Amino acid sequence: MSISNSNNLPTAEAVRQRLRPFGIFFEKSLKDLIKGIRSHNETPESLHEFLTKELAQCRKEANSPDINLKTNAVLKLSYLEMYGFDMSWCNFHILEVMSSETLQNKRVGYLAASQSFHRDPDILVLMTNLLKKDLKYTNKDDMVKVGIALNAISTITITQSLARDIVDDLFSMLNSSHAYIRKKTVTALFKVFLQYPEALRDNFDKFTMKLQDDDISVLSATVSVICELSKQNPWPFVALSPLLYDLLLTIDNNWIIIRLLKLFTNLSQVEPKLKYKLLPKIIELMDSTMATSVLYEAVNCIVKGSMLLDDDYETATKCLECLDKFCQSQDPNLRFISCNLFYKIGIINSQFVADYDDLILKLISDVDISIRSEALELLKGIVNDDNLKLVVSTLLRQFVNEEVVVLNNNNNRRNNSKREIPILIPNSYKIKMVKTVIELCSIDNYNNISDFEWFNALLVDLSLVSQDLLEARDLLGDLIGEQLKSIMIKVPDVRNLTMMSIIKILSMDAVELRLPTVLKECIWSLGEYSSLIENGDIMIKLLIEKSTKFNIETKIILITAILKLLSTWCNGDNAQVDAVEEIINIIIEFIETLTYNSSFEIQERAIEANEFLKLIKESLDEPADNGENNNFGGLPMLLTDILPSFYNGYELRPIAQGTQTQLQQNLAQEYLETPFLNDEDWNNIMKQYNIDQDAVSDTSIDESDIDETYRDKSFHDDISSSSSDENELGSDYDVFDKDKKERKQEQLSNPFYLTDNTVKHNNEERDVFSNADGNEHVNEQMNMVKVKNSISPEIPTVEMFSHDAAATKDKKKKMHKHKTKAKKVKVLTDEVFVQPGLSEFRQNVRKSSNPSSIKVKGGNAIHLQTKSKLGNFDFSKDEINDQKAIHDDELELDKIRQKFQAQTLNQPQISSDNNGNDDNDEEVVIIKKKRKKGKGKHKKKKHSKKEDTEFLEPQHE
Amino acid sequence: MSIRFILCFNKQGVVRLVRWYTANESGRETQEFIAQIYRLISSRDHKHQSNFVEFSDVTKLIYKRYAGLYFVMGVDMRDEEPIYLSHIHLFVEVLDNFFGNVCELDIVFNFYKVYMVLDEMFLAGEIQEVSKDVLVEKLHILDKLE
Repeated sequence: MSISNSNNLPTAEAVRQRLRPFGIFFEKSLKDLIKGIRSHNETPESLHEFLTKELAQCRKEANSPDINLKTNAVLKLSYLEMYGFDMSWCNFHILEVMSSETLQNKRVGYLAASQSFHRDPDILVLMTNLLKKDLKYTNKDDMVKVGIALNAISTITITQSLARDIVDDLFSMLNSSHAYIRKKTVTALFKVFLQYPEALRDNFDKFTMKLQDDDISVLSATVSVICELSKQNPWPFVALSPLLYDLLLTIDNNWIIIRLLKLFTNLSQVEPKLKYKLLPKIIELMDSTMATSVLYEAVNCIVKGSMLLDDDYETATKCLECLDKFCQSQDPNLRFISCNLFYKIGIINSQFVADYDDLILKLISDVDISIRSEALELLKGIVNDDNLKLVVSTLLRQFVNEEVVVLNNNNNRRNNSKREIPILIPNSYKIKMVKTVIELCSIDNYNNISDFEWFNALLVDLSLVSQDLLEARDLLGDLIGEQLKSIMIKVPDVRNLTMMSIIKILSMDAVELRLPTVLKECIWSLGEYSSLIENGDIMIKLLIEKSTKFNIETKIILITAILKLLSTWCNGDNAQVDAVEEIINIIIEFIETLTYNSSFEIQERAIEANEFLKLIKESLDEPADNGENNNFGGLPMLLTDILPSFYNGYELRPIAQGTQTQLQQNLAQEYLETPFLNDEDWNNIMKQYNIDQDAVSDTSIDESDIDETYRDKSFHDDISSSSSDENELGSDYDVFDKDKKERKQEQLSNPFYLTDNTVKHNNEERDVFSNADGNEHVNEQMNMVKVKNSISPEIPTVEMFSHDAAATKDKKKKMHKHKTKAKKVKVLTDEVFVQPGLSEFRQNVRKSSNPSSIKVKGGNAIHLQTKSKLGNFDFSKDEINDQKAIHDDELELDKIRQKFQAQTLNQPQISSDNNGNDDNDEEVVIIKKKRKKGKGKHKKKKHSKKEDTEFLEPQHE
Repeated sequence: MSIRFILCFNKQGVVRLVRWYTANESGRETQEFIAQIYRLISSRDHKHQSNFVEFSDVTKLIYKRYAGLYFVMGVDMRDEEPIYLSHIHLFVEVLDNFFGNVCELDIVFNFYKVYMVLDEMFLAGEIQEVSKDVLVEKLHILDKLE
């Protein structure tokens, strides 16, 4: 089209024509529009006004019979489309511009089409003939035209019928003498295959032959397309492996190598045999290549292509060495992706990454938070009982320490000199951190924790920091509560410690508001292990005092917990009759307030408790004249015998998830038909009861299954290692506390913080913690049946509260901790009743929770586009009835033609009506509505038009 | 489609270029969608954070800032990031070569030409030409036609 190419000298008109769409133009041109937008940028109102005016102008121009004017309007509209102005109303005009004979008009049309046609697939039906025409290559100048048409096919979301119509044209173009056209055809065919997979099935060889094309661009495009297709369905392409393998061996273009590696990743996932041939070659490639990206993709191919077996240490080491190097790099991108792959290798076999704990520890302190976040997930692979404390303290430090990055010569060293940029740690990361810490600690039934004193302190700290993570504190509170309950049950040796932690958490400021979900489990534990509390009366008073703001779940637990506390305390040796009476009065008074609670559960429990307590009170008031209660300081049987028997029947033991369901199933099967107790049963039960009283083991449970695991730690080692750790931790905590304090101070002075008036800190409490060792207090054995104590008789009770009420008010609790005599920490394991169904159930649970096992369905069916209607395309399916399809198409075409005719008839009227109308967007919506109504309903057409005009009328008012 | 969309906006979030390669992500709330991407990316620390960020279940964003312009690619979750970062860089290099020291104004006023460059490089969410020389030569031929 350039001047030198034309034989005749161009006329002035021709020159103007040629320059029109992009250059000299009499009408308001694109440049004016853009400048206009820039100059009206001061306020949104003025911009809106300007754009509305421009849109009206475009509308007028689009309707003009002059194709150049139309083109110009379409170009401007394509620009405005980026700003969110829908232009699908002018799709028909776009089509006109596309079919223009001049190339530059055509180009504008096609550009607009790729921007706009995705909103309305109907227009594609009208585009078919145009495309077929534009795809024809007749003379040299047609190259650009064909290219433009191919671009459009690749960009527009084409329909199945369009795909079917143009597929033959495209296949014939695969043999074009121009690499440019072949290359674009390959990509265009990709779009066709997605909608019309039959085409790939029928011409598979013809298409894949392009892998042997002489032109590197065509080859590259073909590899890319096959790579993408194999992502949807790898099976048909496995057969190409030898050819692709040869390509990998011979080609030296890194872009294509990377694409090939990705393709092999897809294929190897479904065809494990490929690994034997590929793996040596890929490793060879890793040795020879200089390019980081190729190196990375090679490792990626090995890992994601399932080529790394869990016992292949050699390959794993090779990959990890490479990743290790990347992770040390200054480039955060490289670190990020390598960290990700690292994780994937860790999943295959955690032993692989076990040696890289230094690196992972480094990564959890990376300057890039998203890398830290990835590394958090790696921690599972590397924690053991040696480094757990270090890992956790590293993480916790991030909560309190302001970290800065120092910029100096690309060298990210911390502290001192040069520019410092603080690292902002988002809450989402902190939340993940808390979750990870809890998960790490509870791995394998607390296998990594040797020092539960530390773990207790940790939980208290976590509950402190969680209070600030508003968006997740309910969840975190739950998690922390679960942990406290869990170690309370599972680790009998440290119950007193855990009890102290629980009381510490309970006495935090406004904990019922700031971390409400932690309370439920804490209060449950208080009740269940109330024997560890010396002065339950004060505890009860304290709980009642605090309870007004408890949530419903907590209150439900609270009622029972109070009764348990009462039961234990009354039967302890400190309770005097009048004190008992006083506390019962307090409880009754409290519980009566709950008997009308809106929660049914609370109400029911409250009423039950209330009635029972009233009975106790009555019997207390009766003169003690029958001589029965001498032994119990004048307390009635109801308190000494009956109340404890509610709660002290059995020692609670951890039981594996699902056990109860299983037992219930068996109950239904086995016991429904047998008679209730016969003599033998009765005797058995009595026998069993007696054994339970001794509480050594439970005969109803298979002996082999209740084996409690005793983890024999050599305690001396522990002491030495943990004491040094403690010092380290202690200093951490000091920093932590100080920081925390400062933060609170800050919050106080900040008017936007909800105030908690008393800034109280648990420094004192921590002091208690460290001072606690000196005092010993051994509580006498309770004389009532105490199954708990018989399991761990060495457990002392702890005097939790000083008897001085004032001290309690100050929340300065003096705790006496008994020095732990135990030489080992015993963690009870979940008890499992081995029954065939149950183990299956557990396995299922595990399976379903394992996301990494993705099963790929085999078979030859090509389903390429999972989202499209062709998702389930079956290879063996009969040919579609083409005749019928064509017939349908024609009908459809007619309908759409009519629709557009109606639209173009309407168009001038609408646009003239709407000149100066502010709300163009509204109008577009209305037109769309009309189309839908018009679709396939000839009779309704006129009617709907009427509706539209009616619709439009209110706008003018 | 490995590349689900290509997007370019400036520091203020004004869109300069947008091309969708999948239909489902360019639904009705296109502008809101873009605004979401803008908020996500502009909030990131460009000195120390990587140029990759997960965006949805199926898409991750790979982006790079050149002067005041962000070039963003939405890429299939299953694909590897670094190669697309190279794509972006190549695209910018080609633009630079084509316009001669490209700046935002070039892209604004010649947006249709930028789309032309885009279409020569990427088709159907696939890169189709990786040789800068071939690209630039072809583009100059196409440009002359105007």
